[in-house]
Amino acid sequence: MCFVTGMLSHYQYQPWSWLPVPASPVQAYRVTQGLHVATGVAAIPLLLVKLWSVYPNLFRWPPIRSMKHALERLSIFVLVASALVQLTTGFLNTLNWYPWPWSFPSTHRYLGYVLIGSVLLHIALKLPDIKYGLQARLADADVLTEVPWNENPLAHSNAGTVPPPVMSAMNRRGLFVAVGSGIGVIVLTTVGQTVTPLARIGLLATREASKGPQGVPVNKTAMSAQVLTLATAEDWRLEVTGPTPFTLTLDELESMRSVSEHFPLSCVEGWSVGAEWRGIPVIDLVRRAGGDASSRVEVFSLQPNGYNHSMLVGPQVGAALLATHLNGERINLDHGYPVRLIAPNRPGVLNTKWLRRIEVT
Amino acid sequence: MREYRIALGVAGGLLLTFGVFRLVTELDASDLLVLLVWLIAAVALHDGLIAPITVGTGIALAAVPARGRRYLQGALLVGALITVIAIPLIGRQGTQPESKAILLRDYTANLALLLGMTAALALALYVLRVLREHEPAGAPPGQDEGD
Repeated sequence: MCFVTGMLSHYQYQPWSWLPVPASPVQAYRVTQGLHVATGVAAIPLLLVKLWSVYPNLFRWPPIRSMKHALERLSIFVLVASALVQLTTGFLNTLNWYPWPWSFPSTHRYLGYVLIGSVLLHIALKLPDIKYGLQARLADADVLTEVPWNENPLAHSNAGTVPPPVMSAMNRRGLFVAVGSGIGVIVLTTVGQTVTPLARIGLLATREASKGPQGVPVNKTAMSAQVLTLATAEDWRLEVTGPTPFTLTLDELESMRSVSEHFPLSCVEGWSVGAEWRGIPVIDLVRRAGGDASSRVEVFSLQPNGYNHSMLVGPQVGAALLATHLNGERINLDHGYPVRLIAPNRPGVLNTKWLRRIEVT
Repeated sequence: MREYRIALGVAGGLLLTFGVFRLVTELDASDLLVLLVWLIAAVALHDGLIAPITVGTGIALAAVPARGRRYLQGALLVGALITVIAIPLIGRQGTQPESKAILLRDYTANLALLLGMTAALALALYVLRVLREHEPAGAPPGQDEGD
């Protein structure tokens, strides 16, 4: 699930032009990215417990019995290493902490392929053992002994012999309960950044939407985007190019017909919050420039670098707004004053702020 | 069975190879080296530190009487998992600009609260277990003694 929702998120950033991102369901990206982060976080305790349960395998003697055995051990190393690094760096991304030199977005995706590939390979290697384990009625058996692998006629040849454990432990059912509770607590206390009603119990959640300016957190401030003077300049104009180009002043823009919509702002770190946006429908400007709902619309920001432009294609052209108001107030500088793009089912960073130019083709 | 294994293995191998290929061709050599160090260090840290501590704790727990042992194990397990998640949050608390509305909570206090609740629940379950064992209705005592 984590892998699939991850690929969906990637698709939003680099869609194929013949398969545009739909405008509905409005909350789709909020859900897919929320799931991506929630399942990723839940995988952390799961991975740690799994590694503990197979830890004795690290010490089986002899360490390398054959070439095939060596290759399998290598594949396990790749699996464990990529899982640990992927989950750790993914989690740190939600904290906006990047203590490493590589570019997070691309490396996270490629390491994701390495990880899912390793997982599938591991399942392929262990399938007979998995089948045996699922069929055996071991619900009340001791976690460490169950059925010794050397008595398991279908065990993979890698297993070797297992000495009996020296101490007793909680039984398998108890372990499931404990791990399940741990994962449950972790998910419930972190997912409050995505699922607003759970924000109150979000004891370990990173974002608190209610503490954000105008009720919505800000990732890129006006200052760090270097638009403070540009966005408040007297001579700010919105250029709209197309078959019939035109330019709008701030007064002209603010006097145009505007509508209100409830769209979430959903970011790649998994947090999201619903909000009421009021603004001019993009399609009005597109039509005035000589285009229509099937045009390609590219918007540009005053921001000199980074995510300073984005593309609208297909259903999103008709659904997007040039927002002037957020939750009843004029959007402030950090939220994209004078106007920003807002569209449904769209990652936060592609809802470009501090617009200066729209190209209609 | 064999077909599934081959199909999964090939699919996994292709995805894995694709990922490695992209990493090797798209990352700077120095970044790639750092990533490699991270990968090795992660395994070393886990296998060399985290796992032995966990196993050691388990061995030390053998000193606890069997009846209560599983509740203590459960509490330690849940508590440790929650703590792993909480540590980076505590470390980075309050380090970001206000408008991001991120990492604003008092995570140390929240962690203490969660650990307290875990301990309380484990204790309550243990007490219930002890009480049930002393029921006069002749329930066979110690049925899971020594397991």
